[in-house]
Amino acid sequence: MAEATKGAAQLREYETVFLVKPDLTDDSVEKVKEKVRGIVGREGGKFLRFTIWGKKKTMYPVAKQPRAIYLHAHYLGKPTLVAEVERNLRIFDEVSRYMSKRLADGIDPETRQPQEDLKLAGDVDDNKPFGGAEREDFNADVDGSYDDDVTPG
Amino acid sequence: MEKNYEKSGKGGDRGDRGDRGDRGEGDEKRGGRGFARRKVCRFCADKKIIVDFKDQSTLKYFVTERGKIIPRRISGNCSKHQRAIAKAVKQSRGLALIPYLVLAS
Repeated sequence: MAEATKGAAQLREYETVFLVKPDLTDDSVEKVKEKVRGIVGREGGKFLRFTIWGKKKTMYPVAKQPRAIYLHAHYLGKPTLVAEVERNLRIFDEVSRYMSKRLADGIDPETRQPQEDLKLAGDVDDNKPFGGAEREDFNADVDGSYDDDVTPG
Repeated sequence: MEKNYEKSGKGGDRGDRGDRGDRGEGDEKRGGRGFARRKVCRFCADKKIIVDFKDQSTLKYFVTERGKIIPRRISGNCSKHQRAIAKAVKQSRGLALIPYLVLAS
């Protein structure tokens, strides 16, 4: 209750995933990252973490390309910040797609510390069909007992 | 009226009419009015798994090979989590993590 009164200091937690063109060099990806980070800082938000998922095969062509580099931004900010970030993403030529999502409300920015950026490898072997062998793997890995022998009691 | 709840986890994967049709051969409960085993929503059973549009590998389980969302009566999800899954799948499609549609090859 008492916390609710100092609402001005509280921010919302958001994440934005966006796809950039696959032929970008690491440097240009870095530039995009810095631009986004700059926007968040400028609008009174707090940037938490950037995760580069790497170059992945998309399930359908995006911007006429079979692959894309996925970037994931995690930040705190006011509601207007997301609109500003998305407006800018629309302007960047490198960015082909984006999606933002609110994760939580009423976060005190002091409690969250920025983390170091992560870089993941992305897809190693392309041309994996959707379904097929991959699916078998998944069923086996995640929970062998799940399939249908879940019996209550 | 066919009540064929008894199936392996992958049965709904058949693209067209995945929920019915030719999947039942060799199924001992087929034909009778057998009691379907009660399914448990996997997200309720294990609170550690959360529905996340970024998690392709979990979402794939709830999507047929054709890319359709598997109905609740087959996946066994509770209504709350089925809604979450449906939403996550749709968000994920927007980011090309999951296909909208897979054409027969």
